[in-house]
Amino acid sequence: MFHDIWKTFLGFLQGFGAMSLFFLRLLQYTPAVLVTRFRLVFYQVYNAGALSIVIIMVCGLFVGGVLGLQAYSNLERFNAEDTTGIFAGFALIKEIGPVITALLFAGRAGTALASEIGLMKATDQLSAMEMMAVDPLRYVAVPRFLGGVISVPLLTAIFTTIGLLGSHLVAVELLGVDVGAYWQQLQNALDMEDVMEGIYKSITFGIIASLLAVWEGYNSVPTAEGVGRATTRTVVITAIAVLIFDFMITAWIL
Amino acid sequence: MTLSDTLIELRDVDFSRGDRPIFRDLNLTIRSGEVTAIMGPSGTGKTTLLQLITRQLSPDSGQVFVAGDDIARYGISELYRMRQRMGMLFQNGALLTDMSVFENVAFPLREHTKLGERLIRNVVLLKLQAVGLRGAAGLMPSELSGGMARRVALARAIVMDPALLIYDEPFVGLDPISMGVIAKLIRQLNDALGITSIVVSHDVKEIGEVADYSYVIADGKVAASGRPAQLRNEPSELVRQFMLGLADGPVAFHYDAPDIEEQFIGSKPD
Ligand SMILES: Nc1ncnc2c1ncn2[C@@H]1O[C@H](COP(=O)(O)OP(=O)(O)O)[C@@H](O)[C@H]1O
Ligand SMILES: [Mg+2]
Repeated sequence: MFHDIWKTFLGFLQGFGAMSLFFLRLLQYTPAVLVTRFRLVFYQVYNAGALSIVIIMVCGLFVGGVLGLQAYSNLERFNAEDTTGIFAGFALIKEIGPVITALLFAGRAGTALASEIGLMKATDQLSAMEMMAVDPLRYVAVPRFLGGVISVPLLTAIFTTIGLLGSHLVAVELLGVDVGAYWQQLQNALDMEDVMEGIYKSITFGIIASLLAVWEGYNSVPTAEGVGRATTRTVVITAIAVLIFDFMITAWIL
Repeated sequence: MTLSDTLIELRDVDFSRGDRPIFRDLNLTIRSGEVTAIMGPSGTGKTTLLQLITRQLSPDSGQVFVAGDDIARYGISELYRMRQRMGMLFQNGALLTDMSVFENVAFPLREHTKLGERLIRNVVLLKLQAVGLRGAAGLMPSELSGGMARRVALARAIVMDPALLIYDEPFVGLDPISMGVIAKLIRQLNDALGITSIVVSHDVKEIGEVADYSYVIADGKVAASGRPAQLRNEPSELVRQFMLGLADGPVAFHYDAPDIEEQFIGSKPD
């Protein structure tokens, strides 16, 4: 039994090492790709963004709304409903915006990336590029990785903004919190550091979600079943990694 | 045989996938200007052989020479230069699905040359014309039939004017007319462009008509080689079974199984 656990652990280390190497190679090619293939990167930002934006907006609105509801119903008991904006705003900016955006991105764009790359592999498109003396890492992997890395922080900003709007709608328009108090309280309480925390997180999560999606696709078993498995793994592993990193970043900043 | 008429030579090549040996002491040469067929049952490693020749894989031991160079010594830029002199036709075409037929054929030119748009257009249409698909330039790969996709891939494979064309199972899954078209194209391109061709196939009849020389690969070795007509008179049981398409022989019809009586009677409910 210990032998099995040991083997699993070694396998995990091996996979982690291989992925780190893959990550370094992506970074190594990044400057050249940004200069010579910016069009591809731009297209991938558009692609990943366009895939995710509607779901990001809808979810942002409802998550903001529910935060407004929860904050209000608790604060009301202490006659502190004027501070609803603080609670909803802090939660959105520091935690929920970056985390949920990353999870939604993984579910929508990450799966699409992984299955797209996996299918390209299964249909020999990556080998064909190799044979045409074009490095698929540069042509396929890096632009998609960068597209994700750029999109996630932008999507997080959109999610958070719409979320604030959603909690405003619930707290102010529905439950009658004073509109001046709602925004004034949030503005007074919010520091630049809080906003930066959200930004750091969204950048980290963007890297994690994009790296895992591209990695899973690139290393999928080139069969219909293998591509399906890679797609599922993308969502599961991204979710776990994002939540672990969220805890670590929060603990580190506090 | 002088060096100049040998384009590719495999010398004592060993290759395994995991624990499973695919080639042991494989020796084989491909002559310039000829169409060479590589034949053999499915799973014997024909595709693997092509990957060794193009260094998508490297042998465990032994050497692969292309135009006199040991390709294991190549750095990445030399390797890519060598591959630019090779065109490869993958089994299902392997067209890039997110671009049109025209862009697929233009892809190597855009990546490796600084040709202007007008010139690219002319070259691409010319190559498409050579495979009879100039009219399909605007289509997407998903709109093509299997045979058409393979011809577009062929146009892409010749767009850089390679010295060597490699075909992996070009006939599989095609209707008889498309098969004939591809066979004719293989011969035509080889002779008109003055290049060398390697055709992997288990389609004995089609390939027999176009190949100058054939190798039959089985059990990790060259089982037989010669002009296609010679091979038909080959005494080896295995080669005869393969060339004549017999169901049973050295390659058994039955996959290994427990004794038939024991299995059927032993499992009878009582
Ligand atoms: N990527 C791979 N990993 C492990 N085994 C493989 C891989 N590709 C092929 N094989 C195995 O190697 C053997 C030779 O494969 P291949 O060269 O594709 O045969 P052929 O083209 O002659 O049908 C097959 O038994 C196949 O199962
Ligand atoms: Mg094959």
